[in-house]
Amino acid sequence: MGGETLQSAPWETFIVCLLLLIAPVVASPRRTRLWRVGALVATLALALFTADGRVAYAAVAIGAVLHAFSAAPRSVTGAAVLTVSAALSLAAAAAIGQGTLTAAFVISCLAIALRSGLLPLHVGAASMCERVPLVQTEQLSSMIALVFVHLRFVDHHEGAAALGPWLVTYGAGAAIAAALLTIVQRDLRGFYRGTTSMHAGMLLAALGTASLGNFGAALLVAVSMGLALGGLGMMITSLEERVGPVGFAGPGGRGVTFPRLAVLFAFFGGAGVGMPGTSSFVADDLLLHTLWMASPIATITVILSSALVAVATLVTLSKVFLGRATPSLAPDLGIRERLVAVALVVLLVTLGVVPGVLLYPADEFLSGVPPGME
Amino acid sequence: MIDTVHLGLALAIIGPFVGSLVVGLTVVLGDNHPTESLTTRAVGAGLGLSILGGILVLASLWGLWGPPVQGDVAFGDWLRIDDYVIPLVLLVDPLSVTIALYAAVLTALVARFSRTYLHKEPGFVRFFGLLGFFATGTQLVAFSGALELFFAGWEVIGIASALFIGYFHERDEPIRSSIRAFSTYRLADAGLLIATVTTFELLGSARFSALLEANTLPPIESTLLALMFLLSAMGKSAQLPFSSWLPRAMEGPTPSSALFYGAVSIHAGLFLLLRVWPVFAVAPAARAAGVAVGLATAIYAASAARVHPDAKGALAHATLAQVGLILAEICMGWTTLALTHLVCHALLRLGQFLKAPNTIHDTHRVGHDSHGPSWLERASPHLAARVYAASLHRLRLDDRIDAAFAPVLGLARALDSTDRWLRRVVALDRSPS
Repeated sequence: MGGETLQSAPWETFIVCLLLLIAPVVASPRRTRLWRVGALVATLALALFTADGRVAYAAVAIGAVLHAFSAAPRSVTGAAVLTVSAALSLAAAAAIGQGTLTAAFVISCLAIALRSGLLPLHVGAASMCERVPLVQTEQLSSMIALVFVHLRFVDHHEGAAALGPWLVTYGAGAAIAAALLTIVQRDLRGFYRGTTSMHAGMLLAALGTASLGNFGAALLVAVSMGLALGGLGMMITSLEERVGPVGFAGPGGRGVTFPRLAVLFAFFGGAGVGMPGTSSFVADDLLLHTLWMASPIATITVILSSALVAVATLVTLSKVFLGRATPSLAPDLGIRERLVAVALVVLLVTLGVVPGVLLYPADEFLSGVPPGME
Repeated sequence: MIDTVHLGLALAIIGPFVGSLVVGLTVVLGDNHPTESLTTRAVGAGLGLSILGGILVLASLWGLWGPPVQGDVAFGDWLRIDDYVIPLVLLVDPLSVTIALYAAVLTALVARFSRTYLHKEPGFVRFFGLLGFFATGTQLVAFSGALELFFAGWEVIGIASALFIGYFHERDEPIRSSIRAFSTYRLADAGLLIATVTTFELLGSARFSALLEANTLPPIESTLLALMFLLSAMGKSAQLPFSSWLPRAMEGPTPSSALFYGAVSIHAGLFLLLRVWPVFAVAPAARAAGVAVGLATAIYAASAARVHPDAKGALAHATLAQVGLILAEICMGWTTLALTHLVCHALLRLGQFLKAPNTIHDTHRVGHDSHGPSWLERASPHLAARVYAASLHRLRLDDRIDAAFAPVLGLARALDSTDRWLRRVVALDRSPS
């Protein structure tokens, strides 16, 4: 490892975020303004590579505002929450400047909670899941960057360690509540909304364990969440572009008409609940081990949450894609959509088979106290 | 230089996965649906490699090429963060090789049978893709040397099983049955996951070899650990009170019923118990619970099998009765007898399940075997009638489980109402989505 590894950590995270950011752009190029994508890439690079916490949080804030512009036409709530998250990021930057790291830590956690859709702060993320799932996919990329910045700059002090167990307990509670919500949803968007909130709970619990010293695990949880939910969001968008909003009460049977969409939806859905062979499996396993050290009850709660969402995923898959075939003139996934989805699949599988590619450098890099923050 | 045992283990696990991957990528990336010929060749080659791998491992175990190999075979670490390690370690011993080879051969036989049986079925490609996926899971379970790897294979088997049950998805019942089976699996799997985490924390490693130190644990810890393993095994092997998914699983195509619920998957829970035997050896209370569950399941399933109105359902219950007995044997410490019973029973049931579609034809040819009243009917007609009714209704297990979960669903609906209210109050969006 050593010095060379320390330098590589932001690169791996940047590649993941970049792929997640450009995936919707490649799949649906007509929706996107290129200058905005370029600006988002620049903010990602700045957030991940700078050694100054204030600059990193400012870059994340600019990214959130850019996402808010994309969300605004169809999801005012999403845009508003992204703007609030941007303001919180700036507040975190200011707190770092004043040396009040505990305040920065709390504010940063709030910003992450808003972006990830943690109950009950999930209104913005829920609105984006329902109205602009592609923007939700895009913003997951900069949420990963926000988690990276959080782990790097505001998570290395006694205040964070003292708050860690609280985050674990709250995160596990939010995860089980969201999992319960997910199993009673009656449409595809509701399922996506609930799943997103369940992952947000797991992410907060992971951040709690990070405060106790498990930095790599938290980043891997964020990355796996981003990739799985991003893929799921893209598949939902592709399906709804073809058949309109999908409820569970109506006819299913779309798997015959859209077999590729069905296969990829099943894959991303499985990846979201720790399917073996994907990075989520390793992330969940690592999270459970680190959670156990903080709270065995929280560990069992998270295990049950994941089990409930796994069942909800199979129910959703069966309601949407299985059943007597529903005829449709719309084509299955196009070549762009397929290529992007396969790229996400490859990344999820690569990180599942050789998680060390991201985990080792990230853990070493994030465990070190950044310059000027001692 | 890769030695024989490493090569054999890699082929056994990766072979069927590559076969499935080829089929899956052809579906996703290709412009045309893969043909039956391509599908069977790809998956068949993978299964063939798996058998070859198993034979190489057996040869290494017997020492045919060089010194005999037994115990952990390391492939490095899957993950290592500070003192937390997920070892990429496989285990070569008579138990693992027996189970792996028997699963690989039976899966290949079922694949050959299915090639004709499912010819021109709309889900032909899906069936074979899943078969390779399942074979990967069974090999991983059989050879894994650590609980994390075991859990990965265990999950793969569960996913494949649920998807096979829902194979005829044009009808509602197979889909409902698939969800029921998967829900049972996932909830029971929580036991294995908790046991995996606990084992690491208590013994410093989740390798099966670390379980030999289970006798150093306080009795309460070893008992709780054993109960978690037992819970998981009960879910996978459909023991009471989780038995109701098994007859529902007969909705799947006959070859998958034969492979999963006659031969391999239904016995996976028993294999888990054989694998973690050192924990049970020092947990008499958990062993007693296992004996009670096994015998109760055997009595229930034998009664249900006698009154079940369809051939596959009756066979499923007959299988369950034997699985209950094997569970009791394991928990009584008769592990060699249990392994022999398991393998012989699996072979018998596979044949019976594959022959099940011919049952009506055979019955017409051979005639019904009518028999007089049973000993119970002679001793107490009233009790016999009650047993008959209870067996016919299968103890109303589904209804009881639904009733147990009703408060959870009620809570979920209340949360959902609160959530909708909150979003309505807070949200700024006024236009329809």
